[in-house]
Amino acid sequence: MKPKLIIGVLAIVGFTSLLMYNFGNSISTYVNFEEAENRSTSHVIGNWDNSQEYGFSRDTMQFSFHMKDEDGNVRRVVYPRPKPNNFEQATQLVVIGEMRNNIFHADEMLMKCPSKYNENPEFELATGGES
Amino acid sequence: MIAKIGHLLLSGAFVASIAALILYAIAAVKEDKTIEKISNWLWGIKGVFLCISSVALIYLIMTHQFQYYYVWNYTSLDLETQYLISAFYGGQEGSFMLWIFCGFIVGLGLIKWTRKPYRAPVMFVMTLTQMFLLSMVVGWDLNFTQIGATPFRTIAQEMPNAPFILANPDFVPSDGSGLNDLLKSPWMMIHPPVIFIGFAMMTVPFAFAIASLWTKTYHEWIRPALPWTLAANLSLLTAIFLGGYWAYETLSFGGYWAWDPVENASLVPWLLGTAGIHAMIIQRKSSRAHKASLFFAIMAYVTIIYQTFLTRSGVLADQSVHSFVDLGLYGQLLAFIVVMLVVGVGFYLYRYRELPSPQEESKFLSREFMTFTGSMLLFILGFVIILGTSSPILGKLFVANPTPPDIQFYNDWSMPIAIIMAIATVFGQYLFWQKHNWESLAGVLILPLLITSVATVLSIVLGDVRNLYYMVFIFAAWFTVIGNASVMLHLLRKNPKLVGGTVTHIGFGALLLGIIASSVYTEPLLDQRTANYNQRVLAGDVFDDEGFPVTQQIEMFELEINRPKLINNKYMVTYEGFDVSDSPRPGQQTYRLRFEPVDGGSTFYMDPVVYPMLTSSSADNIEWSVDPHVRTGWLSDIYLYVAGSQYVEQRNEELERQNRRDPMMPVGEENGESTDVQNIEIHIGETISAGPFNFTFREFVPAAEEVLPENTQIGIRALIRVEHEPSGNAYDVEPLFAVYNEDGRSYTYSPPLEIESWGMNVMFSRVHPESDSIELTVHGLDENFEEDWILVVAEKKPFVSVVWLGTFLLMAGFSISILRHWKREKDTQKRSSAKS
Repeated sequence: MKPKLIIGVLAIVGFTSLLMYNFGNSISTYVNFEEAENRSTSHVIGNWDNSQEYGFSRDTMQFSFHMKDEDGNVRRVVYPRPKPNNFEQATQLVVIGEMRNNIFHADEMLMKCPSKYNENPEFELATGGES
Repeated sequence: MIAKIGHLLLSGAFVASIAALILYAIAAVKEDKTIEKISNWLWGIKGVFLCISSVALIYLIMTHQFQYYYVWNYTSLDLETQYLISAFYGGQEGSFMLWIFCGFIVGLGLIKWTRKPYRAPVMFVMTLTQMFLLSMVVGWDLNFTQIGATPFRTIAQEMPNAPFILANPDFVPSDGSGLNDLLKSPWMMIHPPVIFIGFAMMTVPFAFAIASLWTKTYHEWIRPALPWTLAANLSLLTAIFLGGYWAYETLSFGGYWAWDPVENASLVPWLLGTAGIHAMIIQRKSSRAHKASLFFAIMAYVTIIYQTFLTRSGVLADQSVHSFVDLGLYGQLLAFIVVMLVVGVGFYLYRYRELPSPQEESKFLSREFMTFTGSMLLFILGFVIILGTSSPILGKLFVANPTPPDIQFYNDWSMPIAIIMAIATVFGQYLFWQKHNWESLAGVLILPLLITSVATVLSIVLGDVRNLYYMVFIFAAWFTVIGNASVMLHLLRKNPKLVGGTVTHIGFGALLLGIIASSVYTEPLLDQRTANYNQRVLAGDVFDDEGFPVTQQIEMFELEINRPKLINNKYMVTYEGFDVSDSPRPGQQTYRLRFEPVDGGSTFYMDPVVYPMLTSSSADNIEWSVDPHVRTGWLSDIYLYVAGSQYVEQRNEELERQNRRDPMMPVGEENGESTDVQNIEIHIGETISAGPFNFTFREFVPAAEEVLPENTQIGIRALIRVEHEPSGNAYDVEPLFAVYNEDGRSYTYSPPLEIESWGMNVMFSRVHPESDSIELTVHGLDENFEEDWILVVAEKKPFVSVVWLGTFLLMAGFSISILRHWKREKDTQKRSSAKS
């Protein structure tokens, strides 16, 4: 009984610590544009700055717009896909990607839409990331 | 008036549930039949009150009483009847009511069917959960705090400080803000009810588990609880399937699964419910695993409440931008989860020492061990997913402001767990029906292993699988399908009623095959140029203006009208145009794309739709939404949507111009006629460019008598080729020029010829004999003219059909098992009542 119990406890401790270690690595923290300068991948929350030009360019095949992060830094964001559904409607944006030379290259964009509860995800994951 | 009644009855239902709760407790403690009867009546009264107030809410919605916030927020005048009804549960409050309603119906079933020692305690737990749910919608404004949010509150109550309410307290909006367009789908009508039926039924094993702890009868409870758990699982599975299919087919989320917290919210209870089913089956067969089946039955429900808490309290809203209205229910939801944890886990721990434990350890090669392994793995997977979903709370252990985990986190953990699970199902099924030792097991497994190897090798070769990990995964999945199928064949000969388990496991294997094929081997459909570009991006050979390497690939392609493009070296794709119609959605465009497989195969069309979102568009901004076209096939699906089009861009520009309403705009711009006329003087054989067009005067062509006016002196046609240079499209036109006499005077006659798709008119207006040239007058020649174009995003997803097939098999297996266990439970009841 005793050795089995020890093995069991060790297995559980080992599993849990591995899981937590991996979990800790797979999450990151939200940053602002300035902090994003020195990181490889960043999540930035902010709002669309609609005072400046935005839109999809058929030459570069990119959607570009300006976003103001929560600390008020405004940067141009480019996104290699068409303008997502619900873009103008979003009350909050999250862009995930890399900051290069003062331009944020977003690989993924999440839109938070104004308050409406429904049974399905309210915001859209703009890139298809299914399992 | 009606709203008052609805509101009062909801309060009445809440009070009735409190009364029933107390009486059920007394009935359970004193084992008093009369008190139990009274509580049953209270249960019924509570249900009737709830039904009437639901009808009242539906009535308010149907009669468009927009002074009520709920009606105004989720419906509008133009909503079709079926969506008006489903708008009832379109909001958070209504969805709680639907949940309570499902729980009420389940409770009626329990009152009718539950056996003696369990009925009162089971109903006590059911009432407890109903009381909490009702408290979310009573909307009592006690002075110090607010309990719940009623769906019957008026706009004035919701926003007392809004300017229009201050100006006029009786303000009634003329129209509602409408149901989100994405929810106007037949799926919306069935998906939420099925979820809540599942949630309500999952309360039953929880209630039985508590009742068993209460009455200290740890063996019998699983017999009545098992069919309910199976049915709850079937409902949740159906709901998950409907949600996934909806997301894939119409919502353009890009796939059927995204590890989204809301999706996880129904997956985790399903996993734990399935773990519970496995434990219950061991307990029934071999009288062990009592602790596990109690634990999983409790946890399945606790996770439902926990995920409800996560998704509805606003915890996720702050951090992971999942949006749910925060109705200020945080405290109540927290109380709900805490009470369920205390009642469930607390009671479980309190009784833990008394719970029967097995006399001896089970052997490795036994059905008990294998089935138990299965349920532990399901639990571990559920635990991993809960951990990921809880990142806004638990992530704080690691970083200050945590983001959700990468999708990779879920994939990394679920894949190895799924592989072990898959293999355990086969061993488990073989051992379930017959005792084996290593030798005999190896003997029966030879044939299935052989077939599995062949299938795996074929899949690897045909699918060009290069990754060793995926190979193992594919092997495990095939092994599950084939191993379980051989057990099933064996059972079919013996007793077909027993095949439920094997069918479920075959479905699981098929699901794994479908998931790996459709997610890992999805490929974008692209034209050659874009594909080459992406390859150069991969190689790091593309640089932007500032000299930084471009890392992002392009995953869409452009099509110009009637200009075929070769896509993936497989299809000649031609954009043939679009139609605008007002049905079912006003202003929707249906685009027409022709696909011609180059290797022979029949031509087909895809018709993706783009439409303006009514609820979120305003006079100065149209918001466009897409409705993808999915062409389903046995081998692969083509998933395609129009991500941009000339039509949409022009509409947006028009709108922008209107918004600016430039008062200085020259008058000529308005009627447009005078400015876009152009005269072109051209010699024979010469080519002249005008804007993006090239005009080539080929030759003169004699004109037929019939078309010429009477008394014609000269009648001649000019063969003109008009080419749109950017696209290369060209038309040949032969405009006519004639000079005729009438009343002694000469007139010219030059009827315009129209090139319809460009909106252009060409006239042969004059002949210059002195310079040997002619003059063309062209109307509608736009300097910035562009051919119609669209941007297409398309993907080829192999074997999505197998994902659905696997899901259907799982459902079928569950259904077979429900019937079997339900029948046995009825038979036992009959026998025991016959005895007494």
